[in-house]
Amino acid sequence: MLLLDYQNVLIESILKDRFAQGPGSIDQVVSDFDGVTFHISTPETKSKILISISVKCFPELVQYGAQAVLEREYGPFIVAPENGYDFSVQVDLEALPEDQEAQDDLIRRISLLKRNAMAAPFEQAFDEFQHLQAEASKYTSEQAPQGVREGGEVRAIHYREEEAIYIKASHDRVTVIFSTVFREETDRIFGKVFLQEFVDARRRAIQNAPQVLFQNKPPLELQGIPGVNDSGSGDIGYITFVLFPRHLTNQRRAEVISHIQTFRDYFHYHIKASKAFIHSRMRRRTADFLQVLRRARPETEEKERKTASGRTFKVQG
Amino acid sequence: MASQTPAVVMDNGTGYSKLGFAGNDSPSFVFPTAISTKGPAGGAGGSGSGRPAVANKPSFLTGGAGPSSHLSAKRGTEDLDFFIGDEALTAAAGPGYGVHYPIRHGQIDNWDLMERFWSNSIFKYLRVEPEDHYFLLTEPVSNIHRIRKAFPLNPPENRENTAEIMFESFNCAGLYIAVQAVLALAASWTSSKVQDRSLTGTVIDSGAGVTHVIPVAEGYVIGSSIKSVPIAGRDITNFVQSLLRDRGEPDSSLHTAERIKEEYCYVSPDIVKEFSRFDREPEDRFKKHTVTYWNGRSVQVDVGYERFLAPEIFFNPEIYSSDFLTPLPNIVDTVIQTSPIDVRRGLYKNIVLSGGSTLYKDFGRRLQRDIRHLVDARIKASEARSGGAKSGGLDVQVITHKRQRHGPWFGGSLLGQTPEFRSYCHTKAEYDEIGPSIVRRFALLGGPGST
Repeated sequence: MLLLDYQNVLIESILKDRFAQGPGSIDQVVSDFDGVTFHISTPETKSKILISISVKCFPELVQYGAQAVLEREYGPFIVAPENGYDFSVQVDLEALPEDQEAQDDLIRRISLLKRNAMAAPFEQAFDEFQHLQAEASKYTSEQAPQGVREGGEVRAIHYREEEAIYIKASHDRVTVIFSTVFREETDRIFGKVFLQEFVDARRRAIQNAPQVLFQNKPPLELQGIPGVNDSGSGDIGYITFVLFPRHLTNQRRAEVISHIQTFRDYFHYHIKASKAFIHSRMRRRTADFLQVLRRARPETEEKERKTASGRTFKVQG
Repeated sequence: MASQTPAVVMDNGTGYSKLGFAGNDSPSFVFPTAISTKGPAGGAGGSGSGRPAVANKPSFLTGGAGPSSHLSAKRGTEDLDFFIGDEALTAAAGPGYGVHYPIRHGQIDNWDLMERFWSNSIFKYLRVEPEDHYFLLTEPVSNIHRIRKAFPLNPPENRENTAEIMFESFNCAGLYIAVQAVLALAASWTSSKVQDRSLTGTVIDSGAGVTHVIPVAEGYVIGSSIKSVPIAGRDITNFVQSLLRDRGEPDSSLHTAERIKEEYCYVSPDIVKEFSRFDREPEDRFKKHTVTYWNGRSVQVDVGYERFLAPEIFFNPEIYSSDFLTPLPNIVDTVIQTSPIDVRRGLYKNIVLSGGSTLYKDFGRRLQRDIRHLVDARIKASEARSGGAKSGGLDVQVITHKRQRHGPWFGGSLLGQTPEFRSYCHTKAEYDEIGPSIVRRFALLGGPGST
């Protein structure tokens, strides 16, 4: 498993079961990455499944157009948000689409609820990029007006308590910046090695990859953004992805958004997987050493043998 | 509510792993504790042979690191090429993958595989960031030492290993390791028969491989009195299968036997009466089970006396086994009688069932009746001996509840959602301060003093 899935496996499997086997009562609270909580329940009747999501940064997402994206994806299924949650969809098992394909598509769409909610700012930024690109093509680089040359505003999503994603569209690229905090010393080192690999990968082989930069100080794009911590202590790392026009074509957009969203989880997953790998090698090593120790027995020394009365035997030469 | 993430409850058993979040009434995922990796199947010990992975291979090949040899030669991402759970079994059916079972007899046998199993459970299935969540894991009670003396008790080192993985690999926020039997007791609090939420009682835990009778007093397992019965779900399935074979049914596969066991079996109050009842009214007693094959063909299998005979092997083991002859009620009675005298009353009053093989209809009622007979007989005898003294009587109660199947998991979910749960956990900071030995002791969750 190199990549993490984008969809929530549990929602997917619950819905699959229910679609196939008919109604049954459900009441489950499910967590997802980044402090997202789902609640799947059947509050009224067993055939009506209510799926609610709570995202820490939902107000921010709404500000960046999440409502429109969610309406596009879930249009007829949206219901008033459940108390304590930010957004709810409801599926009626008695009014399912007829053919299997449409059902599978519905399951897939609902299990991507978190991804779609978080996708809004990205989509908005990508749209803005296209707009700016069209604008910029009218000018040569020198005479472009202020707004076009500078690019759009920075969209900040504080998706975790201490970490945030910043997205900024310009006329020739979209910059996505993650701020990361490592609480663990070891994790920080692992993280550094990993990120260096990302930076190097492009240089070495994969020319088409987005450019990745890693630094401990807030990048220039983030200057003057409220909430950006410039303490200089080096606790916070900034990972910058530069998405070029070829990543932003309409065919690729959805894929790019999914990938970049799971970046942090992917990153942490792999740090943990490498630790597991190192641990298994350590265990091997220990087992080998133990084996050596077990085999090492002191050789039996030649001892002087005595009779009961204390006399000794002498070997006659 | 978003301020506190729900605790993750993981109950990794020999056969199945139950994963989910505290506060839910059923585990989110239940799948086999299996992991399939590239390479040949089995590894040391052979899959399912029941032997632990002994180093009977050349020493430099095995050791604690498990079967994946030449680990150091792997420079790519081979270590991530594995599947767990149902996917593991599917992958192992194809070429290239071999399936391994990292837990044997309730104890973790291969830490490498277990670490990867956990990592996949957390990231792929539960989808949580371990830093944000508290974890509740389970461990078996001091193990199967009664049947197989060769197996050691669950040593505290296992806890330490678990803690090392949980804290150092996954940096989980906090950890609590609970004993399955105690969680099973907590799960019984949902039953309406339970008035006081005490952690004193006798747990009868019957899974696929073995049945344990575990006395628990105030949340502490009385290790010296634990008894195990080598009769459990798998034996019932085998017994059904042998009955089907004797009759020459058209399909007597293990799978069919298992379906019949799960769908039709129940516990009868009296075998002789039940036989005559079957003879009197055959039409609604005898059933037909339809087996449909993958190619669409189907056959009918008659289901007869095995409906009540199969679970009967708990109460009359002689009909199935020739070397183990003590009925389950007698074992329970012995277990309680060997426990300290001051807790016996509580143990009789709160006999809790847990595990899939206790789900038969009327299992609890029959057990309660049989144990009560034993107790009453003993009281009568001692009354006669004392010459005129009257006993106040003894209350025997077997608790049947709805969460029996995943009892330990549900108990974990129940305790994990309590507000004080976090204060019982050891946190990452405490671990860093003290080291793995910290997990040797845990404050008793849900015990006296807490709500």
